[in-house]
Amino acid sequence: MSTQHTLTIQTGFEVVAVERLLQVTRYRGFQLCGLEMKPMADMSGLLVTLNILSDKPISLLTAQLNKLYDVQHLELHAPATAALRA
Amino acid sequence: MTGAELVIKLLTEHGVESIFGYPGGAIMPIYDALYQSPVKHYLCRHEQGGAFSAIGFARASGKTGVCMATSGPGATNLITSLADALLDSVPVVAITGQVSQAVAGTDAFQEVDVLGLSLTVTKHSFLVKNVNDLADTLRQAFELAQSGRPGPVLVDIPKDVQLAQVEYVAPRTLSAVETSAAVMPQQQLQLARGLIASAKKPIAYIGGGVHMAGALTQLNEFLKTTGMPSVTTLKAMGSVDKTNPYYLSMLGMHGTQAANLAVQQTDLLVCLGARFDDRVTGNLQKFAPEAKVIHIDIDPAELNKLRRADCAMLGDLRALLPQMAVKTQCQDWQQHCLNLKLQHGWRYDHPGERIYAPLLLKQLSERMPDNSVVSCDVGQHQMWVAQHMSFNTPRNHLSSGGLGTMGFGLPAAIGAKISRPNDTSIVVSGDGSFMMNVQELATIKRFRLPVKIVVIDNQRLGMVKQWQQLFFNGRYSETDLSDNPDFVSLAAAFAIPGHSISRKDEVTDALDAMFTWPGPYLLHVRIDETDNVWPLVPPGAANHDMMTDLPYSEAT
Repeated sequence: MSTQHTLTIQTGFEVVAVERLLQVTRYRGFQLCGLEMKPMADMSGLLVTLNILSDKPISLLTAQLNKLYDVQHLELHAPATAALRA
Repeated sequence: MTGAELVIKLLTEHGVESIFGYPGGAIMPIYDALYQSPVKHYLCRHEQGGAFSAIGFARASGKTGVCMATSGPGATNLITSLADALLDSVPVVAITGQVSQAVAGTDAFQEVDVLGLSLTVTKHSFLVKNVNDLADTLRQAFELAQSGRPGPVLVDIPKDVQLAQVEYVAPRTLSAVETSAAVMPQQQLQLARGLIASAKKPIAYIGGGVHMAGALTQLNEFLKTTGMPSVTTLKAMGSVDKTNPYYLSMLGMHGTQAANLAVQQTDLLVCLGARFDDRVTGNLQKFAPEAKVIHIDIDPAELNKLRRADCAMLGDLRALLPQMAVKTQCQDWQQHCLNLKLQHGWRYDHPGERIYAPLLLKQLSERMPDNSVVSCDVGQHQMWVAQHMSFNTPRNHLSSGGLGTMGFGLPAAIGAKISRPNDTSIVVSGDGSFMMNVQELATIKRFRLPVKIVVIDNQRLGMVKQWQQLFFNGRYSETDLSDNPDFVSLAAAFAIPGHSISRKDEVTDALDAMFTWPGPYLLHVRIDETDNVWPLVPPGAANHDMMTDLPYSEAT
């Protein structure tokens, strides 16, 4: 049984910030199942939404993402439980 | 001024006097600005060597190390060293030249996506696209490298940015603002004090984060007040006062039996600036199975990452340790730990005439001048150094811990010597590791650096061979180095004198000759290829299941 999590992350405006988010997600062993990205209203950065599927505590990922210099704000939304399909 | 000149200006602004690097096309403007500047550049003979020297400089001094390389292969050659700095939390700023933005993304000559390459091996990295951002970026890089959990930061600077005109603006002087003291986690501290006071068998598990936080004084006061025995990681060796009788030395795969057995029996593990690395814990599920855990670190991502803590605290050890220093009632446990030390002490009565590396290193440790810095490489000799040499601060023991990078030792010793010219710099290497950055002998020659080099030569990749012997049925795949060069002749080619020994009775005279010689010196030590590192916790085993010798069938 895995749990699906949604993270909303504000980053700087550089594309490399998104690369960093994805690299950390992959390297730390989390499954990405959705990604949305748009500029913030004031164009001061990017608003990235990640949908993550994981059987590990999501705190292991959020702790790593929060360390990124690019990450200005990270919000974890209430999880939904999803059965893994074979 | 140009962007390149601004780079040098920013280095001096940050008090940087020594940097390590290698020039090339895309960084030529910076090297031109460096010419006749007050910043001393140490030309290394490979970018990896330059970056390892920057690491050695940083680890021995506590300052930020700086290295430079050109685009493409220059930058890719930095990658291993940056990964090493990341895993061992070493503050390094790497500056790379990049092709001009007009040709960026066209597969130009010596173009590679350095920013992309750097993502996984740096704490952070920057690509400077506008010369007006250069100063702020470099200031951020130095701040980031040292702040929180230190680490490497890379700044990639295209050639057109280096050549562009810019005005130097001094850093803004922050007006005096009232800074409130960091909020202490009072609830957690109270919990920690309660756990410590009620523990019957507590152990402090000390990592490199303690000395990097500048908390060695607070640590030793804490150990003195609580009376709790202690163990250290590879990176923290030298943290505990030598006079502390309850220090059990290094724990983990090649730790002492006393340290491992005590940790397996403890009822309270106080983890200070360490991270439950797999080389420390062995089988994580079986590590310190009876222990409650207090874990303090500056990096929130380390708390509860591998072992859930009963009390986790994020913060500065200098402030937190004094708040936790309560007396314990663990005299029986102290005596038990003393007995473990006595029962499992090292033995140096190795039979025969051949040199026994652990004894050699003990003799080296006893003979080296006070406050010597010992850099080592990776393999059997690295573990023997940790087991049999003694250090009075972690800044005197430079070892590639997290990444385990062969080739680290020689350039790290160069950086250490440059950062602390009045202290003796010694590199202990193996015959495999030494060849990985042997070109840095030229750096020693060029700058007449009196680095003392001890090459322990068993004509094998010894640690790999040991594992092949123990766990791969003696199938010695590609670990024979019996065609090694003549190391003394090799050193001589760089005008470095040396001597080769193979018998125990030659050791003391050879060590004295090495230390008496005023310049660099190479001591080549032949040892028996069958000597192994003991104890050893086999892969997947608990730390109390140490092997202390070959299985009977292997030994006969």
